[in-house]
Amino acid sequence: MSYWTAFILTLFSPVIGGFIYGLERIVRARMQGRVGPPLLQPFYDFFKLMDKRSIIIHSFHAFMGVMYLIGTWFALFVLLSGGDLLIAIFFHVLSLAFLVVGGFSVRSPYSVIGAMRELLHMVAYEPLYVLSATALYLVTGTFQVSGILHSEHVPLIYLPLLFIAVLFSLPAILKKSPFDTAEAHQEIIGGPEIEYSGKFYEAVYTAKWIEYVYAFFFIFLFAGGNHILGALLIIFAFFFFNLLDNVTARVNFRQMVAFHWYILIPLAVTNLMLIALWRS
Amino acid sequence: MDFKSFRKKSPWILHYNTGSCNGCDIEILACLSPKYDVERFGILNRGNPKQSDILLVTGPVTKRAKERLLRLYFEMPEPKVVVAVGACACSGGVFRHMYNVENGVDKVIPVDVYVPGCAARPEAIIDGLIKALEILKSKGKDLELPSWCKADVKPPVNRAKLLNSCLEEFHGCRRD
Repeated sequence: MSYWTAFILTLFSPVIGGFIYGLERIVRARMQGRVGPPLLQPFYDFFKLMDKRSIIIHSFHAFMGVMYLIGTWFALFVLLSGGDLLIAIFFHVLSLAFLVVGGFSVRSPYSVIGAMRELLHMVAYEPLYVLSATALYLVTGTFQVSGILHSEHVPLIYLPLLFIAVLFSLPAILKKSPFDTAEAHQEIIGGPEIEYSGKFYEAVYTAKWIEYVYAFFFIFLFAGGNHILGALLIIFAFFFFNLLDNVTARVNFRQMVAFHWYILIPLAVTNLMLIALWRS
Repeated sequence: MDFKSFRKKSPWILHYNTGSCNGCDIEILACLSPKYDVERFGILNRGNPKQSDILLVTGPVTKRAKERLLRLYFEMPEPKVVVAVGACACSGGVFRHMYNVENGVDKVIPVDVYVPGCAARPEAIIDGLIKALEILKSKGKDLELPSWCKADVKPPVNRAKLLNSCLEEFHGCRRD
């Protein structure tokens, strides 16, 4: 993909993410036997928030909300422009760090608890993403996204266990049940995003749409050069995590970290070791 | 660009119980359930005053709840509307003139829509919400103060200070 195509695609990624979010709300409603909102609902929310008055706690807090958006956007640009996979992952961590710092910078207890849990989220799933980058390197021989997308191997065949692990940690990165401890709308009312309002909440809201595109692009990479398989994987992952979101209750943060570190990461490491043994 | 028409399409609600018997609260939650499903209109129960447009209040406003209600009202950014749900919230209901209640939400904060009923039916609540959306669309972004609060409002408003001066007036003295 050329540089300019990637730039334009990144620029319009909130629109793609908004549509994914709108579809998710409909699918979730249908799974619960409801009609659900229209497909364009996230954009209605977007334009409504544009019109709301913004109440700022202090300027640094608002700035961190905007930086969260920019950081996620940049991480997605690195992915889409065919850059280094590890750099994209680290930029994503950085963008979440902005959100956490913003959460800690206000005195609201819910915000602080949410920020702590956000850190635990990062502890839980980020090793898995670094491991999957390593595994993709082992299979395709490159960390460059453009190289992975043009490789003749299909990483999914070599990395079935790792793919399952990433699939199960998808709710953690998108903050959906059962791993929505950081957001937990019934419990800590949104966690680190609770004190944002108006245009600054809009930035956080949009950043979450971009994270959808980021997470699903990661799934897409598991198909390597086979782009049709990649699209199928994305559709499967979308319905799978919506189903998971609907049928499970929220686990507490200990169970979340334990599930990632005792089950998913050993699964990923086993896959890596098997590949290394098979290659030698 | 005019964004006013989008206010009607995505109202987020904040629900607050000021000492109600829980009957109206259950009916409000029934609105969100599959049978009535107000998410069709884009309505979400956010539970967060900073991101909400509609304040749904139930109950006759007890003396303790008054301060919290005022606090929530000032934390909501404009434009916003207030819907009083149930007989208690409209006038005090069976608790009217008791020593511990304020006789309705409109004694504390400005109310836009009254939904009668004990408990108010989900259909009536949805009707009230739709009426509230029409009011929300035509509302400006000026700060609305309760009629009893005489604080002067000059932009930019420091909401914490405004709330404190209002509470001072309410208690008759400072209460830090």
